[in-house]
Amino acid sequence: MTAIEVKNIQFSYNTEDVIEDVSFTLHQGEFLGIIGPNGAGKSTILRLVCRILTPRLGSVLIFDKNITMIRRKILAQQIAFVPQETYFALNFTVEHILIMGRYPYLGVFQREGRKDIDAVEYALEQADVTKFRKRPINSLSSGERQRVVIARALAQQPKILLLDEPTSHLDLHHQFAIMELLKKLNTLGISIIIVNHDLNLASLYCQRLLLMHEGTIYADGTPKSLINEKTLRDVYGTSVKIIRHPDRDVPQIFLHPQGE
Amino acid sequence: MNKIVFTLVIFLAAIAIAILVGPTPLSPEVIQLRLSRVILGIVAGGILAFCGGMLQGLFGNPLVEPYTLGSASGAALGGSIGILIFGTISPIFAFLGSLGVGFFVYTIATVEGGLLRDRLILAGVIMSFLCSSLVMMIMVMGGRELYEILYLLMGYLGVIINPANRILIMILVVISLGLVIFLYRYHRELDIISQGLETAAGLGIDIQRFSIVVFLTTSLLIGSIVSIVGAIGFVGLIIPHVSKLLFGPRHLYNLPASFILGATFLLLADTLSRTVTVYELPVGVVTSLVGVPFFIYLYKR
Repeated sequence: MTAIEVKNIQFSYNTEDVIEDVSFTLHQGEFLGIIGPNGAGKSTILRLVCRILTPRLGSVLIFDKNITMIRRKILAQQIAFVPQETYFALNFTVEHILIMGRYPYLGVFQREGRKDIDAVEYALEQADVTKFRKRPINSLSSGERQRVVIARALAQQPKILLLDEPTSHLDLHHQFAIMELLKKLNTLGISIIIVNHDLNLASLYCQRLLLMHEGTIYADGTPKSLINEKTLRDVYGTSVKIIRHPDRDVPQIFLHPQGE
Repeated sequence: MNKIVFTLVIFLAAIAIAILVGPTPLSPEVIQLRLSRVILGIVAGGILAFCGGMLQGLFGNPLVEPYTLGSASGAALGGSIGILIFGTISPIFAFLGSLGVGFFVYTIATVEGGLLRDRLILAGVIMSFLCSSLVMMIMVMGGRELYEILYLLMGYLGVIINPANRILIMILVVISLGLVIFLYRYHRELDIISQGLETAAGLGIDIQRFSIVVFLTTSLLIGSIVSIVGAIGFVGLIIPHVSKLLFGPRHLYNLPASFILGATFLLLADTLSRTVTVYELPVGVVTSLVGVPFFIYLYKR
C-alpha cells in the first residue's frame, strides 16, 4: 500500500528553485532516508510532504488523497513532523508537551479525554521518557529533549513519521538510542522518512535511500545499491573509501585525510 | 489553588478600595461615579493584559505589547483629531483612528504570499512613530486642547458617562468582552506556537489564518479600549509576565489570570492616581511609576 506519493513537485523560495520536479513514493511500513549535500532540498521535501510548505507545481498524496483536500488537523492525525531543533520558549513540563500532541484530535473547548491520556501514556513509554514526565522541558539535555519531541509526535498516533536530522548534534549514545527507537517504531508499523547527514547511520538503519542533488533525486534505492565511491564523488565532490560493515551487509564510508 | 483564591481576594479588595477610598466623602452620586470607573477599570485593565498575553504568545516575543501593533497610536491620533474638531474627546474618532491604522499596518505587512509576522511588528512600530508625531503636531497647533490630548495619551478612567456616549461605551464594552471569550478559545494554539511555527504547522495549525484572526481581533479590542480610556501603558506589557510567573506557561490558566491581574492592577493604580495628589494624575503615569519597581522586585526574587 502506498503511504505517500509525491508527483512532480516543484518549489521555490522567492525566485530560486529549490525543488525541481521531484517524484517518489513511500510504501507503508518503509524506513526511508533522504541524504544529500547541504542545500540539496532534503528538508524542503519533508516540509512539502506535511504541508508546512505548499508546492508551486505538482501534488502530494497521502493514502491516495491529495493533502490539499485534507483538513490540516486530519492530516496531522496521519502524519507527524519532528523539526530539526525545537526551541522551547516556555518551560512546559514533559507531560504537557505530549498533551499538545493531541491537538489534532481535540475540538475547540474540548478537554482531553481517556483516549488522549492513553495515547500520551503510550508515547511516554515507547520513547522511554516516563521518568521525566513531571520535569520542565528546559531542565533536560538535548538528547532527552529530542526523545520528548519524538514522543509528542507519537502522541499524535501518526501512521507516518517525518524527522529532520533527529540525531544531529547528539552524542554517540543518544544517536544510537534515537535510531533504535525509530527502528522499533518502524517494526510497530509506522512508516518513517528521515533526513540524515550521517551516511553511515542512514546506511545502517534505512531500508531505502533517496540521494538528492541540487533539488532533484539523483538516485533511489537500497543503501547497498546506491552508496558507492563514484556516486558520492559526483554528488558530494569528495572521494571516499567504502567497505562493508563488519556485522551487516551494508556499506560504511571512510574519509581519507590528504597528504598521506 | 491558593494562588487562585489569593488572586481573587486581591481583585475583590481592589474593587472595594476603588469604591471606598477617595478625597470626597461617600454619597450615592460619588459611589455611582466611582462604580462606573471601576467597571471601566476592570474592562480596560483586563483586556489590555489579556491582549498583551495573546500577542506575546502569538509572536513568541516577550516585548510585544498591545501598542506595538499600532492600533493604540491610531486611536490616540483619531482621538486627537476629534478633540481638534469638536473640542472634546469623542470615542468614535478614536475608534476609527485605531481601525484605520490597524488596517494600514496589516496592508504593509501583507505581501502576495500572505501575512509576514516579523513585518507586522515592524510596520506597527513605524506607524506608532508616525502617529505620535502627528499627535504632537496637533498638540502644538491645538494649544487650548493640549490638556485633553495629554489624558488621551496617558490614560484616564474618569470618563464622564453622559447620555450621548453611554450607549456607545456600553456596546463597546459588551462586544469587547465577547471578543475576549472568542480569543480565549485559542489557548492551546498559543501553547503550541511557543514551540516554533513548524511544530505548530505540523500539528495542524493554519499559522496564516491564526495570525490574521488574532491580529485583527486584538486590534479591534485595543482600539475600543483606547478610544474610551486612552492609551494606558505598561499593563499589557508587564501583567502577562507576572501572570506567567504565578500561574505557569499554560495559556489555559495564564490568560484568564492576566485578565484578573490586569484589572486589579489598573483599579489600584487608578485609586492612587486620584488620591495621591490634589490634582488627578493620568493613570498611565501611575501604572509605570508603581509597576516598574514591583516588576523588578518580582523578577529579582
